[in-house]
Amino acid sequence: MVSGRFRSRTFRRVFRKTPGGRTVLHHVLRKPGKVVCGKCGAILKGIAHARPAKFRNMPKTRRTVSRPYGGNLCSKCMRQLIKNNIKIE
Amino acid sequence: MFEVGRLVVKIAGRDAGLKGVIVDVLDKGYVLIDGQVRRRKCNVIHIEPLDKVVKLPKQATHEEVVSALKAEKIEVSEKKAKKAEKSARPIRQRKAKPSEAKTEEPKKEVKAKKKDVKKE
Repeated sequence: MVSGRFRSRTFRRVFRKTPGGRTVLHHVLRKPGKVVCGKCGAILKGIAHARPAKFRNMPKTRRTVSRPYGGNLCSKCMRQLIKNNIKIE
Repeated sequence: MFEVGRLVVKIAGRDAGLKGVIVDVLDKGYVLIDGQVRRRKCNVIHIEPLDKVVKLPKQATHEEVVSALKAEKIEVSEKKAKKAEKSARPIRQRKAKPSEAKTEEPKKEVKAKKKDVKKE
């Protein structure tokens, strides 16, 4: 019988083949949701989503977009923000 | 609106938010920009015009653009030249694998021994 915490669906179930040929059930923590724009809430493209520990170990190019506010705002909102900043000046 | 000498702000890509000047008007909808941004051809929809126009000749050099922007109090940080030599530390030579060295030696010994035995 599996441990009590594994009986809830908090954990994702994954079938894994062992080197011995058996198929065993593994319980894996679920991935967090996709990264969204801080202003409009649109899903950001080009940004990975994984558990924080794995995410930190990824290369920087997978964690952000090389653009001001990359990884926080979508391109449309970023453009709008820059245009507004110009007007304030 | 997009004439030579017009100050602009880039609003797309990794240079977004940086200021520059239009250096040349190319085909329909494309201009050449320089300044804080990298000197390159740029689509008009990727830049936002400002209300200032600087006196610049067509196809002005980067130095001319930098001095013109300095008069408008826009500082252009120059990229540092790449270092010729990486480091003074010697480059490590790859050692031969210990497993290969071990396998080669005993084979030779065995062959030599066999020949010796036949001769005798």
